[in-house]
Amino acid sequence: MIRSLLLAVLASYVVSAIHSVLAFVNKRRALQGVSDWAMATGFVLHTVVLVADWFVDGHYPLFYLRETLSFLAWTMVGSYALVRYRYGAHALGSLTLPAVSLLVFLALLIGSPRGTQEPGFSGTWLFPVHTTLLLFSYAAFFVVFVASVMYLLQERELKLKTFSAIFHRLPSLTTLNEIATSAAAIGLALLTIGIATGMLWSSSRYGVLWHNDPKEIFALLTWLLYLLLIVYRSTAHWRGRSAAWLGVAGFVLVLFTFFGARWMGGYHVFG
Amino acid sequence: MSIVLVGVNHKTAPVEVRELLAFSEEACAEGLRALVDGEVVSEGLIVSTCNRVEVLTATTSEQIKQSRERITKFLSQSRSLPHDLFRDHSYSHIDDQAVRHIFRVASSLDSMVVGEPQVLGQVRQAYSIALEAGTAGRVLNRLIHQAFRVAKRVRTETGIAANAVSISYMAVELGKKIFGSLKGQSVLLVGAGEMAELSARHLINAGVARVLIANRTEESSARLAKEFGGETVSFERLADYLPDADIVVCSTGAGEYVVTADMARKALNRRRNRPAFFIDISVPRNLDPAIGELPNAFVFDIDDLESVISSNIKEREREAERAELIVDSEVMQFQQSLRVMEIGPSIGALRLKLQDIARSEMIRQRNRLGHLTPEQESAVEALLLSTVNKISHPLIDRMRRSFDGGDNESIQAWRDVFDLED
Repeated sequence: MIRSLLLAVLASYVVSAIHSVLAFVNKRRALQGVSDWAMATGFVLHTVVLVADWFVDGHYPLFYLRETLSFLAWTMVGSYALVRYRYGAHALGSLTLPAVSLLVFLALLIGSPRGTQEPGFSGTWLFPVHTTLLLFSYAAFFVVFVASVMYLLQERELKLKTFSAIFHRLPSLTTLNEIATSAAAIGLALLTIGIATGMLWSSSRYGVLWHNDPKEIFALLTWLLYLLLIVYRSTAHWRGRSAAWLGVAGFVLVLFTFFGARWMGGYHVFG
Repeated sequence: MSIVLVGVNHKTAPVEVRELLAFSEEACAEGLRALVDGEVVSEGLIVSTCNRVEVLTATTSEQIKQSRERITKFLSQSRSLPHDLFRDHSYSHIDDQAVRHIFRVASSLDSMVVGEPQVLGQVRQAYSIALEAGTAGRVLNRLIHQAFRVAKRVRTETGIAANAVSISYMAVELGKKIFGSLKGQSVLLVGAGEMAELSARHLINAGVARVLIANRTEESSARLAKEFGGETVSFERLADYLPDADIVVCSTGAGEYVVTADMARKALNRRRNRPAFFIDISVPRNLDPAIGELPNAFVFDIDDLESVISSNIKEREREAERAELIVDSEVMQFQQSLRVMEIGPSIGALRLKLQDIARSEMIRQRNRLGHLTPEQESAVEALLLSTVNKISHPLIDRMRRSFDGGDNESIQAWRDVFDLED
């Protein structure tokens, strides 16, 4: 049941992604409308899936890799919708929605393993808060990444004065800059609280704040990098190309924290 | 019903011919009344602009040839111009070709600069003249209204008018790509040439809040400052004002760089990395091209602008291909509604048909009535006919209305109910 619902979610996101990309290439408002509606439908269904998952499995739906991927996709759609609402920058959808579709597809492919570790071990409410905040921060950093990539593309075209077909579809440099700045600030705040709650949870359970495992180290590096980005942006009025490159680099670190750390083992690997 | 169009445009006729054929507004109304005779030409409309003269008429399907001759004769007489002079430059289109042509004209697909917005207004104007002259009837009303709709669809559904194709407008478009909105931005005009003036006008229309003008001769900068509500600044102290300007438009006759890379670097530092947009429309160039290598500075010289414009024109042409598809489908739709219009006459025949039914029923039942006096007989007939008429009157009235209003669905329903032929 939940699986077929998640299939419907995937279908909506794929429809939305295709129309968003087509709208990006073709610049047709009607296509954008289809994309928005499909995304809204997918998001509502996705919310239902997450809640249903919680009740059926009896644990917060953010523990196994399958759940994490699905949850991450959900936060990404949510943050894209916010950006779309605030800045009207639907061009970002043409990168976000395909990525979201891919995540949901992977979540469907993986399925949950049974046995090994029971999610019940997480114990207190701190654990789900920790994971949820971190996923939202990742989604925010993804927004920074997409806005930065678009900034770099557009800045390059303006400097070279050769405009490709996508040039006219991208938001202005100033808008992209604003999106990246505010998303980075929000992401950093979420990451800070996320790491802090993780430490609290760990100390209450194991009596240690820090395990020194790869995921924690990468998370710290990520945190430092975005802190640097924010500090530079606000004090030295850093913007433009260098800030955008930092936004891209930050996301590479996020990817490493999220996926890479799994293969390096350590204490943060579950399910 | 048929539609016949005869015309010349910028592609087929040189300006010497077009100007001889052009109609002023008064000549247009007068000419239309002379052209439309109610027999060969039942409706008429003249679109006359600097790029084209088009005479659009409605006629019956049998008189296409005559009406075409009538139009050319009308053109040559009313413009007192021998036909030989414009025969080779003119074209004539019939029915769906004519419909397609007028749709393309209205949606600016036939314009010199594809996508330019003026032509639609000119068609609108031509139509209101024809309405006033009383020469636009059922067919042309419908055709022109649909042409307006096609133009709107083409504008919103394709990017045909999306990108700037003039240098002065380019400044606005690129400015928007950099700053998002131009509201509240400030512009510095260096030199007060005609091009700078035109660009400034576009920028102000787009919302630029502050205009600074630096010119070697104070007079012309004072004049521009007055016109734009801007401030004049000293040309010698240009470097001091550079940091204040988000957009710099440069067009002086100077033979050397007016803004050097060093000046720009200092200004950008003072701007704390806020981007700056430099436009150089002067030859020789007034802005050091090295400014373009500084971070957050974007420099466009006249050649850069020209090349962007030519790529925008290509983009418009690509979009025009999509627009042609819209035109195609609309032409088909119009042809359909024209066919529906042609059942008009058979609505009139319907009343006669119903009366015939009444009379033949009367004849069939006559024997059963026995002997009737002539008065009684005509009273029975009158009774039958007036009953039929009273019942059919509101029906026929409604049919006429749905047919005049072009309500295709109801027309089809009427046609099915009463078995009307097309």
